Amino acid sequence: MSSRRDFLTLLGLGAGASTLSLWPSLSSAATGGDTRLLVVMLRGGLDGLHAVPPYGDPGYAALRGPLALSPAGPTSDDAAALKLDANFALHPALGFLARLYAQGYCLPIVAAAPPYWGRSHFEAQDCVENGTDTPNGAETGWLNRAAGALHQHGMSVTSVTPLIMRGTSKIDSWTPPLPMRVNPILLQRLEGLYAEDPRMAMAFADAVAQQHADASIDQQMKAGMRPVGPKAVEERFAVMMRAAGSFMARPGGPRLCFVEDYGWDTHANQAPILARKLAELDQAVQAFHDASAPVWRRTAAVVVTEFGRTARINGTNGTDHGTGGAMFLFGGAVNGGRVGGDWPGMRPSQLYENRDIHATTDQRRVFKALLGAHIGLPDAVLSTSVFPNSAGLEPLGGLVGSPAVRSVGSRV
Amino acid sequence: MHSARFGAAASAANRFGLGARPGELARIENNPHAWLLDQLHQPLDGAQWLAGLPTSIDYLRAEIDLNRKRRELRKHGTTDKSANPLAQLYREEFGEDLKRESLARWRIAAGTETPFAERLVRFWSNHFAVSVDKGPAHLYAAPLEREAIRPHVMGRFFDLLLAVETHPAMLRYLDQVQSVGPDSIFAMRVDRRLARVARREHQPARQLGINENLAREIMELHTLGVGAGYTQADVTEFARALSGWSLPFPKQIQREGLRSAFFYRAGAHEPGTRVVLGKSYPNTGFGQARAILADLAAHPATARHLSFELARQFVADQPPPELVDRLASVYLREDGDLAAVYAEMVRAPQSWGEAAMKFRTPQDYVVAGLRGGSIHIGDAPQLLEGLIARLGQPTFMPRSPAGFSDLAADWIAPDAIWKRVQTAEALAARVPRANLDPHRFARELLGPQLRPATLTAIARAEARQQAVAILFASPEFQWRV
Repeated sequence: MSSRRDFLTLLGLGAGASTLSLWPSLSSAATGGDTRLLVVMLRGGLDGLHAVPPYGDPGYAALRGPLALSPAGPTSDDAAALKLDANFALHPALGFLARLYAQGYCLPIVAAAPPYWGRSHFEAQDCVENGTDTPNGAETGWLNRAAGALHQHGMSVTSVTPLIMRGTSKIDSWTPPLPMRVNPILLQRLEGLYAEDPRMAMAFADAVAQQHADASIDQQMKAGMRPVGPKAVEERFAVMMRAAGSFMARPGGPRLCFVEDYGWDTHANQAPILARKLAELDQAVQAFHDASAPVWRRTAAVVVTEFGRTARINGTNGTDHGTGGAMFLFGGAVNGGRVGGDWPGMRPSQLYENRDIHATTDQRRVFKALLGAHIGLPDAVLSTSVFPNSAGLEPLGGLVGSPAVRSVGSRV
Repeated sequence: MHSARFGAAASAANRFGLGARPGELARIENNPHAWLLDQLHQPLDGAQWLAGLPTSIDYLRAEIDLNRKRRELRKHGTTDKSANPLAQLYREEFGEDLKRESLARWRIAAGTETPFAERLVRFWSNHFAVSVDKGPAHLYAAPLEREAIRPHVMGRFFDLLLAVETHPAMLRYLDQVQSVGPDSIFAMRVDRRLARVARREHQPARQLGINENLAREIMELHTLGVGAGYTQADVTEFARALSGWSLPFPKQIQREGLRSAFFYRAGAHEPGTRVVLGKSYPNTGFGQARAILADLAAHPATARHLSFELARQFVADQPPPELVDRLASVYLREDGDLAAVYAEMVRAPQSWGEAAMKFRTPQDYVVAGLRGGSIHIGDAPQLLEGLIARLGQPTFMPRSPAGFSDLAADWIAPDAIWKRVQTAEALAARVPRANLDPHRFARELLGPQLRPATLTAIARAEARQQAVAILFASPEFQWRV
């Protein structure tokens, strides 16, 4: 393996997490300056308490009742949770993420939230995506602005452009193709027509350019293609993540990529729904891992959701919209194998409005750290154009590639 | 000059309607406004295609039947390990019905003589979105549109609202059916039983309670709109008032003569007076949440929210504020009379200004191709359903109670545009081409909105089919001006 990390240690630069914020471009230099960041958004509000059960918290089991999970063994008919440390575990369906954690490539962050603490899906999602501290703070997305600062196209694995990728910087997009080829003559005819339409010209030109580049991806995706139907819905997440990994693994591939998934709003009958959805997530992470192999060591991915859910279960074995939730970082560049964030506790007095997990980490601190320490964008850009007016918001330290924290010998 | 003809007619047919059919612009040219306004007082076209479809009550009964078969299957096991017998059973039971529902909807879209009214139906269907990837709501999304929206689309908003919120589709989609008041008679009885079981098994007792999902989305999406000043406490209080709004019990469903798929379970209703937006509502059982709904429907924030959405749907992504004001004041003056609001929108000059321009959503794009090209739908809607799913708008599956976006920025992306070009080619291949004069055909669908460059490209096309594909893929066919 590369000795870059050892080299940094020798120089004394890997001594602590603070190094990373002092020298934001170091990590990207250490990995050749061609690092990759994948952002995965789970829309609907993932229940962090279900995905990363804080089984060591004395209040947890009582508030969660039949939904409580523990590595000690099944409380109902669920399998045992996968132990991370003395306080936290992973849901049993997250086997691949647990393996990454054991290898030091997965870092769950607990009690995180966007700066908006209301409970509307749409406002919270807008706030996560626009990178400001309010739902209406900007009409463009922070990944688009970051791509602009990098002078590179971002890649959105969605058929339409989500807010996070909207803006003045050009964005490529992709979803599983329609199984047919377009007559090249028709394309020639259309080129002139679209050139006259200011709002559609660029999207069309990009679409045509992308078709020439996509042959190899098409081949890879054939395995994942299914006819549209319930079956396709289930496997779609993994298909998108495999595609994202393939795009990012290309020489000169996108450094910033976005994937989204739906169906996380578990108001009722949560246990079986999340068992299925988390298994989909786990499968999708593995698909990305496999497809991104050539760049895996230079890649960090962050899984984010708009809010967590109520600490108490509701009357229908589900949970309602809450505040603090979980994030996941994974990837070869991630300094994982530990649980990040500050746990606020689950005593009624510790809950936010006696209802939700009190958020202790602004998600933007994680995003800023990834775009800074990992991607190499200077703090001056991050705190102004990418995350406006966020100079006071310190990037979370030690998230990526710090050799002092990670034992080199444990790497595979 | 020829190119000035059909201007308002093309807007009426394409921006307010579902897309012009050959000959239509000439027919409505003399008075496109009257053509739109007449549709507000005519019976909705489409009854012939909807006749004979099952009701929600039929579906509830069939579900009970299916559940019985499932239990038998589980009991006796199955020898065939390769197939998924439960999914197979579902397909056998409902596959044909779901296909008929889909086919009826496509036939109405392609063939309706009241396309503005039909757009309004679809507008409300998306406003009150139900996503069928939630299993228990799957069968009821199409019936919601048929049973709750179509009958009330020209009526008062409150009647529409009540019909939707008491429909099994919404009750199941937003988890209302299981919501139980924690101090209700039913909860106390069940809690005692559960507590006994829990004590025996040394487990924490499960408690029945409120689910606030429906209450929140009614306030945020269906009526007031986000930011209208209601609080978490208002949501919770409203949710308590709604407890008991549910479906009939299986025994009732199986009984002959059941008239409604809604049932108010008095035993599950949380007792007590509720305070919502500062007003007290005494416990009148079902009437308590009904009274709150009535006040929400009459609220000025609701008037603004609905007016804004209507203007955004039919006029522009950023609708003129004066137009929204006009619609909201008619809404309040006419006590939520929707036909009066639509009529105001048709009459308002702001609806016909320079800035009036919308981008066709995938579904409307395909529908416009079907109508314009007189394409025969046949008996297999699966192809069309698959097509719009890949374009990003699977029928009744917005995956969120906010429904599908109608903003251009959400639909103009390289991948989506590419698939539209593919779609244009696929649709063009199905347009009957005998005697088709591409030049005239293009003028008949777009009137003066057709641009010279497109006409030139059509004239140079190497085949009729390609000329039609160019027209369907042209920017002006995607925009509704």
